Amino acid sequence: MFLIKPFFTFLLICISTQSVALVEKTVDSETLLKSWKLTEAPFSLELIQRLPDQTRAFFQARGFSSDIANNIATQCVLQTIGKNTSKTPQSKSITYDLHEWKIHINAKAQSIKFKELWDKEWTEDVVTTASRIAFRWATFPTQQSFDPGGDFNWGMISFGLPPGSTFDLEVLWKHNNQTHSQWIKQIECPADQ
Amino acid sequence: MDKTNRMSCRPVIKIKPTTLLLSFFLLISNLLTVSYAKESLTLIKQNPAAPDFNLPDMDGEMFSLSSYKGKTVIINFWATWCPPCREELPSMNRAWQKIKDENISMIAINVGEDEDTIFSFMGDYPIDFQVLLDQSGEVINKWPIKGLPTTFVLDPKGQLYYRAIGGREWDSESLLNLVRAIQK
Repeated sequence: MFLIKPFFTFLLICISTQSVALVEKTVDSETLLKSWKLTEAPFSLELIQRLPDQTRAFFQARGFSSDIANNIATQCVLQTIGKNTSKTPQSKSITYDLHEWKIHINAKAQSIKFKELWDKEWTEDVVTTASRIAFRWATFPTQQSFDPGGDFNWGMISFGLPPGSTFDLEVLWKHNNQTHSQWIKQIECPADQ
Repeated sequence: MDKTNRMSCRPVIKIKPTTLLLSFFLLISNLLTVSYAKESLTLIKQNPAAPDFNLPDMDGEMFSLSSYKGKTVIINFWATWCPPCREELPSMNRAWQKIKDENISMIAINVGEDEDTIFSFMGDYPIDFQVLLDQSGEVINKWPIKGLPTTFVLDPKGQLYYRAIGGREWDSESLLNLVRAIQK
């Protein structure tokens, strides 16, 4: 009997640590760029600052005019990495839809500026097919399903905010028929230096 | 101090049964984690037919997917600017050295870039297997892909069998054994 109590305590610790959400902010010692990592097993999401200059250079190198590249770069573009961290084959997939995520800034809610919205803004004579292809595949998928065993994606998300803005982001995802929601607070769009 | 006294000065470590039990469960839990801590591939339900394509290689020679029927084919969609693609490709090249004599083909389909960009990239990241160019993005649009890199493994009937979203260490024996098992 003396073994039953510690066994269940241990089991409880194991179960509870599985579902604890953690948001960690770090600053890269070399670039000084900030990042925010949300971890709630088996989902992890990391947002990493990109300097507007980095984004400008990336899109100009892929055929965008300097005006359009500047417009994209100055709307708070963050590198995003989403993962299913489970390596257990029996685990379920994780799905998300960026349409459900909410930005909160100055007590107002707004949506992410999706890649599809950007694409609609551009006429064929202004942005070539090759540039559109690069934009589409370099940006984070609007919807995705990550299976266990190593699925992940990298890509840029444009939050549609001016450089230097600070905002909160509500992140939603589904796992095992349940919707999960967590806030990442005080995300900083890098200044345009 | 005689031998008996010295022995009596040693601290006696008493381990409670509960501590022993906890250690045992931690050990088992770690062992389970290690045994599952490997990358895998998603088995595709109902195995739909892979969308066919006819794409040029770096020299302009055309290759169609249907010409690979009868072989297991690993097809990777990638771009030079994509960080996880750059991380994954060397492991694909190492995997190719292991499987090239095993009736398995490997194809890297570049999305949206030209020969010069890819040629320059391959100076730093050698690719010894087939590279095809989907410059217009028409082929990738027909495949069930939302992000790069995405890799499919096709069975010898030309059906989608496995999928991997994001990079993998393709030269790991556990992954290659999944691919090899398709042929059996």
